[in-house]
Amino acid sequence: MAEAPGFDWSWRWFLEGVRQALTGPAFYVSISLMGVGSLARAAGFPVGAAVLSTILVWAGPGQLLFFGAVIAKTAPPAIALAVSLSSVRLLPMCLSVLPMLREKRTPLSVLLAASHFIAVTVWAESLRRLPDIERPARLPFFFGLAATCMALTALSTALGYWLMGSLPAPLGAGMMMLSPIYFLATTARSARSGADWLAMLFGAVLAPVMVTFVGGGFDLPALALVGGGGAWFAGYLARRES
Amino acid sequence: MSLFSADPTLAPYLALILFGFLPSEIWRALAVVVARRIDEDSELFLFVRSVATVLLVGVVVKIVLLPSRELSVAPVWARGGALAVAAAAFFATRRSVFAAIVAGEAVVIFSVWWWAR
Repeated sequence: MAEAPGFDWSWRWFLEGVRQALTGPAFYVSISLMGVGSLARAAGFPVGAAVLSTILVWAGPGQLLFFGAVIAKTAPPAIALAVSLSSVRLLPMCLSVLPMLREKRTPLSVLLAASHFIAVTVWAESLRRLPDIERPARLPFFFGLAATCMALTALSTALGYWLMGSLPAPLGAGMMMLSPIYFLATTARSARSGADWLAMLFGAVLAPVMVTFVGGGFDLPALALVGGGGAWFAGYLARRES
Repeated sequence: MSLFSADPTLAPYLALILFGFLPSEIWRALAVVVARRIDEDSELFLFVRSVATVLLVGVVVKIVLLPSRELSVAPVWARGGALAVAAAAFFATRRSVFAAIVAGEAVVIFSVWWWAR
């Protein structure tokens, strides 16, 4: 075999990925994550950390949890646990996209880099668009699409951060509600079973109780165990019935 | 803020990497390393899915119930009302995320404007 590099690189396909990102997905994700910048500001973080959270964490719910929990004065280990639990869903997402990108000789480092870009938007767009593309073109296309989404979102995170201080009060309050509504709606949209709806209900009903009665910033883990465990167990019983 | 007690310039970045970046990135790295396909319908994944969902809703409830300074200009009925109207718009439009955002935002922005007149 003559081909020494592990994968082919085509700037044409990279630019095609950029172009397709700019037809919708990049704007969709960047506008919805603008509220994360506002949250970061409310949590007392510098703008660089807000932008870095988009580039490094690149998972809206995780960022929302991180800054939201800091605002609520949650204990750091509990924050890390909550963020990690919310990001477990990245594992099956990556597992479903990576086989589409992988070729026999693709280096591990390239796959690691690719996996970093996978979050709900890029995942959904990849599942939709990659099957129509020839395998050697997929990696450059993917990186073009994903990097464009991330770059635009990094900009909008900074924009959300700066706008927060100078907006009239009604718009400032609106910015702060942007991510809560967006994530509630996307979670409801991806709900597949009764257990998912039950989990949302348990979260809504139990959260005020936990906030009131569980101190020390550990209300989130307590909520996760009681509410999440309960919703799963109800679903488990329902599955055994049927 | 207890998170920033050590070094006020570097501490926020350190906190972000330790408690935000690493806890989420570990799952992506694991996916690359784990060769075999993991069953998305196993009980463990269903459990984790429930836990993650409850957590997300819990954080939203906390943001709404214990608002930051910017959000506290909206009275609690406006915050709760925004979520309720967003949910109504969501179901009325056969699960449109966009409709939920527009409807919820309209309620918050309008009621804060109304309240402050």
